[in-house]
Amino acid sequence: MALTITCPVCGKRNGYEFKYGGEEKGPRPEEKDLNPQAWCEYVHMNKCVAGVQEEWWFHKDGCGSWFTILRDTTTNLEQEKKEAKK
Amino acid sequence: MIFKSKPLWGEKTKLKSSYDVVIIGGGLHSLATAYYLAKEHGITDIAIIEKNYIGFGGAGRNTAIVRANQRTQHNVPLYKEALDLWPVLTKELDYNLMFNNCGNLNLMHSEAAMKAARMTIATAQFHGVESHLIDAKEAKELVPALNISENITFPIHGAMFHPPGGIVRHDAVVWGLAKGAAKNGVEIHQHTEALGIETKNNKVCSVTTSEGKINTRQVLISAGGYSAALIHDMLGIKLPISVLTIQAMVTQPLKPLLDHVVSSGAYHCYANQTLKGEVATGAHMDPWPNYTTLNTAHYIKHQAEALSEFLPCLRGVRFMRIWGGLADMTPDMAPIMDGNNQVEGFFMDCGWGYFGFKSCSAVGKYMAQFMATDQCPDIFKPFALKRYEEHRLMGETAALVNYTPDN
Repeated sequence: MALTITCPVCGKRNGYEFKYGGEEKGPRPEEKDLNPQAWCEYVHMNKCVAGVQEEWWFHKDGCGSWFTILRDTTTNLEQEKKEAKK
Repeated sequence: MIFKSKPLWGEKTKLKSSYDVVIIGGGLHSLATAYYLAKEHGITDIAIIEKNYIGFGGAGRNTAIVRANQRTQHNVPLYKEALDLWPVLTKELDYNLMFNNCGNLNLMHSEAAMKAARMTIATAQFHGVESHLIDAKEAKELVPALNISENITFPIHGAMFHPPGGIVRHDAVVWGLAKGAAKNGVEIHQHTEALGIETKNNKVCSVTTSEGKINTRQVLISAGGYSAALIHDMLGIKLPISVLTIQAMVTQPLKPLLDHVVSSGAYHCYANQTLKGEVATGAHMDPWPNYTTLNTAHYIKHQAEALSEFLPCLRGVRFMRIWGGLADMTPDMAPIMDGNNQVEGFFMDCGWGYFGFKSCSAVGKYMAQFMATDQCPDIFKPFALKRYEEHRLMGETAALVNYTPDN
């Protein structure tokens, strides 16, 4: 199904212009005292939500921005966001 | 007989309040596991819980290709055993699974790909799996419809030919295993949704379903593309999985023109001719996770372009049916099979991506052994979830350039 994504710079565009960047998992863990479990959790592990999830996108064929959106994974429809995340 | 209410595998039964084993998901891995638990290990008090109907998900979605030409030493023996089991199961189940071992021809479009194929073939031969490297001319002799001219986007340099692979009628496997399992006492409960797994002292004690609570000591989640979300929702276990829609389609029926399964990594396309004459083709996964199972114009166009380049006789042929399903992809293109590790009595069998069909027979056999004995069979050991934090990912993808959901 067609996917459109709203880039913070370019606005609403065709989803094929973007590259999916993974589920939003919070900040990268600190290097200090980092163990394999915590690193694995950050790098590999997903929730695989069937519903609305916050996720990263990269506007590869556009302005090059990285940003997050909310999308319903069961419909491919972008959801309204309360406030934009930096 | 249109409104036949009796399932083909036997009478409908009422869900009991307790079973020795509960299996969530009514697909091929679940049916095969239940079948072997009942037949080989005498564990017959089993309930298969399926939200829709058996074969609804990946079991019906897949394009029926079976093969054992994977890349790594851990994967090849498992798929080889699965391949060897088709004729055995056909006899055992007394059900025609329509195994047509026509062989797989995997096209290579560069010298680098030929080199990668040499490595894969060496692995196959080491494990006693027949696989050969052939040049473009030999490929053309096997499949005269192939375009081996230089004048296409990805000219064919050669191919990996794997004669023992082929096609198995996927729906027949669902029906045959369901009948075989039911005959041995397994209960199949369709239109019954699993809602939660309850634990006590980190041990499985019950499963809550839409039809009531079931007390059990062991539960297996093998629900194909839906497994990762279920496992996270029910037990809070996160998995290195991305769930993507994968699409397939068939053309109108044609006279016989393809004697082998033909696939191409560069064109991102595979094709085989079914016994009805339709060319079944697919391979595309959406590049972002979703559960829509919808087809896209983007891909139908891609598929038509790819097919009409390397099989130019298909130009002008119409697609007759299109469909989509889910593939639960892992970063190393290998499944996750684990048990008694995170929670005692909890087993999982997921992350198969688009390899679930070709592996179901062997996995059912060993998963049954795992659950019956509580001892992980050696052949499953490398597939434990722990491999990710130990950074021992399997090398099923020859060269992973980008870490993406669809690899």
